[in-house]
Amino acid sequence: MSALEIAQRLYDSQLGTALRESVYAFPIVEGLHLIGLAFSVGLLFFVDLRLLGVFLRQVPVADIMNPLRPWLLGGFVLTFVTGILLFIAAATKIILLPVFLFKLGFIALAGINALWFELKWGKSASAWGWSPVLPGNVKFAGFTSLLLWSLVIVTGRLIPYLSIE
Amino acid sequence: MSTLELFRALQASNFGRFIGSLDHLIHAGIQLMHITGMLLLLSSIVLVSLRLLGIGLRTVLLTEIADVANRFIWIGLALLAISGVLMLAPSATNYYENDFFWDKLVLLGLALLVHVTLFRKVTRLEHTPASAAPLAVLSLLLWFGVAFAGRFIGFF
Repeated sequence: MSALEIAQRLYDSQLGTALRESVYAFPIVEGLHLIGLAFSVGLLFFVDLRLLGVFLRQVPVADIMNPLRPWLLGGFVLTFVTGILLFIAAATKIILLPVFLFKLGFIALAGINALWFELKWGKSASAWGWSPVLPGNVKFAGFTSLLLWSLVIVTGRLIPYLSIE
Repeated sequence: MSTLELFRALQASNFGRFIGSLDHLIHAGIQLMHITGMLLLLSSIVLVSLRLLGIGLRTVLLTEIADVANRFIWIGLALLAISGVLMLAPSATNYYENDFFWDKLVLLGLALLVHVTLFRKVTRLEHTPASAAPLAVLSLLLWFGVAFAGRFIGFF
């Protein structure tokens, strides 16, 4: 089955139809997508700024990263679930948009960056995270995260503007 | 001058017509400015509120977090206000007729009022009082309400 056929099937599904037909469902899911972003990318923004040495640089990285992690991951779950719902509701249109494919690409790259950081540095943050100025690799991961998630937001917001009516 | 007349005048003004005549990608840019401001604002409110609820950055002084967050909150509000006016001007009469626009303004007024009074006061205290938790929840609900009402405007 091609991506287009899957998109067509999702679009025609009961869930997809219900999302399109309800007056309130779509804007509610949009609203939740935005709240999810405030917790996920929003809180990650503060972690990234700490890695770059801009935000609360005198506080150990672990003291910022560890308490925020569950909120941030919860935010990503909310953003992801609502994002899938938004996709299902308009799957056949969105799947054709290059800007959507770019968004998926940026999400994948940001995910790889986060995974690499977590495995290599995240767990041992209490050992290296005391200094205001952090190792170059850590700064690089923070900068990359900031850049990639910004691109995800930009490409995501452009979806309705670059849609084919 | 009634509010409706004011909105009509804004839309018919050179400024309103100029913004309206711009390419739709410029309007997308204005939307990006709006969402950037909204995310800066919301995430800063979330950061401080989690700390007030005792489930955020527990080891960091509240005043320290609030100081940094406040800067982002006002940068966010500035971005929101500028892009908001740019969105409003070319189609002010449409916004006038949209209930969610007025809901958003009321919620925004309440959120700002709570922010510059109670929220500011509590985040400056050395010892966080018990009333900080409900206040944090109230502030979160009001700002999330602003964001939700804003999202709804475009669909009605």
